[in-house]
Amino acid sequence: MGESDTYHIRPNHQQKFRPAVVKECIREIVRERLSGVQYNPEEVPELTRSLADSVKDKVKNSGFDKYKLVVQVVIGEQRGQGVKMSSRCFWDADTDSYAEDVFMNASSILVPRSLPGLWPEAVLTPCLHS
Amino acid sequence: MEEYNSGEEVGFNPDEISVSVKECVEGVIGGTDYNQSKVNQWTASIVEHSLTHLVKQGRAFKYIVNCTIMQKSGAGLHTANSCYWDTATDDHSVPDLADDWLPGDPMTTP
Repeated sequence: MGESDTYHIRPNHQQKFRPAVVKECIREIVRERLSGVQYNPEEVPELTRSLADSVKDKVKNSGFDKYKLVVQVVIGEQRGQGVKMSSRCFWDADTDSYAEDVFMNASSILVPRSLPGLWPEAVLTPCLHS
Repeated sequence: MEEYNSGEEVGFNPDEISVSVKECVEGVIGGTDYNQSKVNQWTASIVEHSLTHLVKQGRAFKYIVNCTIMQKSGAGLHTANSCYWDTATDDHSVPDLADDWLPGDPMTTP
Protein backbone atom coordinates (compact mmCIF):
# COMPACT_ATOMS: atom_id res chain seq x y z
CA MET A 1 0.00 0.00 0.00
CA GLY A 2 1.55 3.28 -1.07
CA GLU A 3 1.43 6.63 0.63
CA SER A 4 -1.64 8.71 0.01
CA ASP A 5 -1.24 11.63 -2.41
CA THR A 6 -0.53 14.99 -0.88
CA TYR A 7 -2.42 17.78 -2.51
CA HIS A 8 -0.76 21.16 -2.35
CA ILE A 9 -3.61 23.60 -2.20
CA ARG A 10 -1.28 26.56 -1.83
CA PRO A 11 2.20 27.13 -3.20
CA ASN A 12 4.89 27.31 -0.57
CA HIS A 13 6.92 30.48 -0.28
CA GLN A 14 9.68 29.45 -2.71
CA GLN A 15 7.21 28.41 -5.37
CA LYS A 16 5.02 31.46 -5.18
CA PHE A 17 4.57 33.37 -8.38
CA ARG A 18 6.83 36.42 -8.57
CA PRO A 19 5.75 39.05 -11.08
CA ALA A 20 9.15 40.78 -11.08
CA VAL A 21 11.00 37.61 -12.03
CA VAL A 22 8.53 36.80 -14.77
CA LYS A 23 8.60 40.34 -16.10
CA GLU A 24 12.36 40.08 -16.40
CA CYS A 25 12.04 36.77 -18.31
CA ILE A 26 9.58 38.35 -20.69
CA ARG A 27 11.75 41.41 -21.16
CA GLU A 28 14.88 39.41 -21.98
CA ILE A 29 13.19 37.37 -24.63
CA VAL A 30 11.47 40.32 -26.21
CA ARG A 31 14.56 42.49 -26.38
CA GLU A 32 16.60 39.67 -27.79
CA ARG A 33 14.09 38.74 -30.47
CA LEU A 34 12.72 42.12 -31.46
CA SER A 35 15.50 44.69 -31.37
CA GLY A 36 15.92 46.15 -34.82
CA VAL A 37 13.15 44.03 -36.32
CA GLN A 38 10.76 45.74 -38.72
CA TYR A 39 7.07 44.92 -38.89
CA ASN A 40 6.66 42.51 -41.76
CA PRO A 41 3.15 41.11 -42.35
CA GLU A 42 4.53 37.86 -43.79
CA GLU A 43 6.70 37.07 -40.82
CA VAL A 44 4.77 38.53 -37.92
CA PRO A 45 2.24 35.69 -37.42
CA GLU A 46 5.01 33.16 -36.99
CA LEU A 47 7.00 35.56 -34.82
CA THR A 48 4.05 36.16 -32.51
CA ARG A 49 3.44 32.45 -32.09
CA SER A 50 7.02 31.62 -31.45
CA LEU A 51 7.43 34.45 -28.96
CA ALA A 52 4.44 33.19 -27.00
CA ASP A 53 5.92 29.70 -26.89
CA SER A 54 9.36 30.96 -25.90
CA VAL A 55 7.99 33.10 -23.08
CA LYS A 56 5.90 30.22 -21.81
CA ASP A 57 8.85 27.82 -21.83
CA LYS A 58 11.17 30.29 -20.17
CA VAL A 59 8.72 31.08 -17.38
CA LYS A 60 7.99 27.40 -16.87
CA ASN A 61 11.68 26.70 -16.48
CA SER A 62 12.25 29.57 -14.09
CA GLY A 63 10.77 27.73 -11.18
CA PHE A 64 7.08 28.08 -11.96
CA ASP A 65 6.52 24.64 -13.38
CA LYS A 66 3.77 23.89 -10.87
CA TYR A 67 1.70 26.76 -12.15
CA LYS A 68 -0.63 26.74 -15.11
CA LEU A 69 0.39 29.51 -17.46
CA VAL A 70 -1.42 31.59 -20.03
CA VAL A 71 0.80 33.74 -22.23
CA GLN A 72 -0.62 36.24 -24.66
CA VAL A 73 1.47 38.17 -27.16
CA VAL A 74 0.04 41.00 -29.26
CA ILE A 75 2.05 42.63 -32.03
CA GLY A 76 0.61 45.64 -33.79
CA GLU A 77 1.89 47.84 -36.56
CA GLN A 78 2.61 51.44 -35.61
CA ARG A 79 0.59 53.69 -37.84
CA GLY A 80 -0.69 56.19 -35.38
CA GLN A 81 -3.98 54.37 -34.82
CA GLY A 82 -5.53 54.19 -31.39
CA VAL A 83 -5.46 50.88 -29.54
CA LYS A 84 -6.54 49.90 -26.04
CA MET A 85 -6.19 46.58 -24.23
CA SER A 86 -7.90 45.66 -21.02
CA SER A 87 -8.26 42.54 -18.94
CA ARG A 88 -9.93 41.30 -15.79
CA CYS A 89 -9.51 38.06 -13.94
CA PHE A 90 -11.53 35.97 -11.60
CA TRP A 91 -9.02 33.90 -9.64
CA ASP A 92 -7.49 33.30 -6.26
CA ALA A 93 -5.60 36.49 -5.44
CA ASP A 94 -3.53 34.64 -2.89
CA THR A 95 -1.82 32.32 -5.36
CA ASP A 96 -2.46 33.81 -8.78
CA SER A 97 -0.98 36.81 -10.49
CA TYR A 98 0.31 38.18 -13.76
CA ALA A 99 3.19 40.03 -15.36
CA GLU A 100 3.35 42.08 -18.53
CA ASP A 101 5.75 44.10 -20.62
CA VAL A 102 5.40 46.55 -23.49
CA PHE A 103 7.95 46.96 -26.25
CA MET A 104 7.78 49.61 -28.93
CA ASN A 105 9.96 50.39 -31.85
CA ALA A 106 9.44 52.58 -34.87
CA SER A 107 7.32 50.05 -36.68
CA SER A 108 5.58 47.94 -34.08
CA ILE A 109 4.17 47.66 -30.59
CA LEU A 110 4.48 44.40 -28.74
CA VAL A 111 2.67 43.48 -25.56
CA PRO A 112 3.60 40.11 -24.15
CA ARG A 113 1.62 39.24 -21.08
CA SER A 114 2.05 36.22 -18.99
CA LEU A 115 -0.77 35.34 -16.70
CA PRO A 116 0.36 32.45 -14.64
CA GLY A 117 -1.05 31.79 -11.43
CA LEU A 118 -3.59 29.25 -12.00
CA TRP A 119 -2.46 27.09 -9.12
CA PRO A 120 -3.56 23.73 -10.40
CA GLU A 121 -4.08 21.45 -7.44
CA ALA A 122 -7.54 22.75 -7.07
CA VAL A 123 -9.36 19.49 -6.85
CA LEU A 124 -9.74 20.24 -3.21
CA THR A 125 -10.07 23.98 -3.44
CA PRO A 126 -13.47 25.16 -2.42
CA CYS A 127 -15.04 27.41 -4.97
CA LEU A 128 -16.52 30.60 -3.73
CA HIS A 129 -19.72 31.97 -5.14
CA SER A 130 -22.06 34.49 -3.73
CA MET B 1 -9.87 24.05 -11.58
CA GLU B 2 -12.87 21.80 -11.55
CA GLU B 3 -14.76 21.30 -8.38
CA TYR B 4 -14.38 17.75 -7.17
CA ASN B 5 -17.52 16.08 -8.33
CA SER B 6 -18.13 12.37 -8.40
CA GLY B 7 -21.09 12.89 -10.68
CA GLU B 8 -21.31 14.67 -14.03
CA GLU B 9 -18.46 16.46 -15.71
CA VAL B 10 -18.87 20.21 -15.86
CA GLY B 11 -17.09 21.33 -18.98
CA PHE B 12 -16.29 24.68 -20.51
CA ASN B 13 -18.30 25.33 -23.65
CA PRO B 14 -16.39 27.79 -25.86
CA ASP B 15 -19.26 28.34 -28.30
CA GLU B 16 -21.72 29.29 -25.64
CA ILE B 17 -19.19 31.62 -24.06
CA SER B 18 -18.42 33.17 -27.42
CA VAL B 19 -22.09 33.98 -27.99
CA SER B 20 -22.61 35.56 -24.59
CA VAL B 21 -19.43 37.61 -24.84
CA LYS B 22 -20.44 38.88 -28.28
CA GLU B 23 -23.72 40.04 -26.79
CA CYS B 24 -21.87 41.93 -24.07
CA VAL B 25 -19.70 43.61 -26.68
CA GLU B 26 -22.67 44.57 -28.88
CA GLY B 27 -24.40 45.94 -25.84
CA VAL B 28 -21.51 48.25 -25.00
CA ILE B 29 -20.30 49.44 -28.40
CA GLY B 30 -22.90 48.26 -30.90
CA GLY B 31 -23.13 50.61 -33.86
CA THR B 32 -20.70 53.30 -32.68
CA ASP B 33 -17.56 54.64 -34.31
CA TYR B 34 -14.15 54.57 -32.68
CA ASN B 35 -13.93 57.32 -30.12
CA GLN B 36 -10.66 57.81 -28.33
CA SER B 37 -12.17 59.49 -25.31
CA LYS B 38 -14.51 56.58 -24.74
CA VAL B 39 -12.25 53.66 -25.45
CA ASN B 40 -11.09 53.25 -21.84
CA GLN B 41 -14.63 53.09 -20.66
CA TRP B 42 -15.61 50.65 -23.39
CA THR B 43 -12.87 48.16 -22.69
CA ALA B 44 -13.54 48.30 -18.97
CA SER B 45 -17.28 47.77 -19.47
CA ILE B 46 -16.89 44.94 -21.93
CA VAL B 47 -14.49 43.09 -19.73
CA GLU B 48 -16.47 43.64 -16.55
CA HIS B 49 -19.79 42.65 -18.08
CA SER B 50 -18.32 39.54 -19.67
CA LEU B 51 -16.66 38.48 -16.46
CA THR B 52 -19.77 39.11 -14.38
CA HIS B 53 -21.81 37.08 -16.80
CA LEU B 54 -19.35 34.20 -16.67
CA VAL B 55 -19.13 34.20 -12.91
CA LYS B 56 -22.93 34.23 -12.60
CA GLN B 57 -23.05 30.88 -14.34
CA GLY B 58 -21.80 29.49 -11.09
CA ARG B 59 -19.23 27.11 -12.49
CA ALA B 60 -16.12 26.21 -10.56
CA PHE B 61 -13.69 27.94 -12.90
CA LYS B 62 -11.18 30.73 -12.70
CA TYR B 63 -11.49 33.16 -15.61
CA ILE B 64 -9.21 35.52 -17.46
CA VAL B 65 -10.91 37.94 -19.83
CA ASN B 66 -8.94 40.11 -22.26
CA CYS B 67 -10.25 42.76 -24.59
CA THR B 68 -8.38 44.64 -27.31
CA ILE B 69 -10.02 47.47 -29.20
CA MET B 70 -8.15 48.90 -32.15
CA GLN B 71 -9.10 51.62 -34.54
CA LYS B 72 -9.44 50.32 -38.05
CA SER B 73 -6.75 52.12 -40.03
CA GLY B 74 -5.22 49.46 -42.20
CA ALA B 75 -2.53 48.66 -39.67
CA GLY B 76 -1.93 45.02 -38.82
CA LEU B 77 -2.53 43.40 -35.43
CA HIS B 78 -1.51 39.87 -34.49
CA THR B 79 -2.31 38.01 -31.30
CA ALA B 80 -0.89 34.66 -30.19
CA ASN B 81 -1.51 32.64 -27.06
CA SER B 82 0.56 29.88 -25.56
CA CYS B 83 -0.88 28.05 -22.58
CA TYR B 84 0.40 25.49 -20.14
CA TRP B 85 -2.67 23.96 -18.55
CA ASP B 86 -4.74 20.84 -18.19
CA THR B 87 -6.42 20.27 -21.55
CA ALA B 88 -9.04 18.05 -19.96
CA THR B 89 -10.51 20.87 -17.89
CA ASP B 90 -9.23 24.12 -19.36
CA ASP B 91 -10.07 25.89 -22.57
CA HIS B 92 -10.39 29.28 -24.17
CA SER B 93 -12.92 31.09 -26.31
CA VAL B 94 -12.13 33.84 -28.81
CA PRO B 95 -15.25 35.46 -30.26
CA ASP B 96 -14.71 36.73 -33.76
CA LEU B 97 -15.66 40.37 -33.77
CA ALA B 98 -13.97 42.04 -36.73
CA ASP B 99 -16.49 44.69 -37.57
CA ASP B 100 -16.77 47.56 -39.95
CA TRP B 101 -15.75 50.06 -37.35
CA LEU B 102 -13.35 48.30 -35.07
CA PRO B 103 -12.18 44.84 -34.09
CA GLY B 104 -12.58 43.71 -30.49
CA ASP B 105 -11.28 40.44 -29.18
CA PRO B 106 -12.41 39.30 -25.76
CA MET B 107 -10.77 36.04 -24.84
CA THR B 108 -12.02 34.10 -21.91
CA THR B 109 -10.01 31.33 -20.37
CA PRO B 110 -10.98 29.13 -17.50
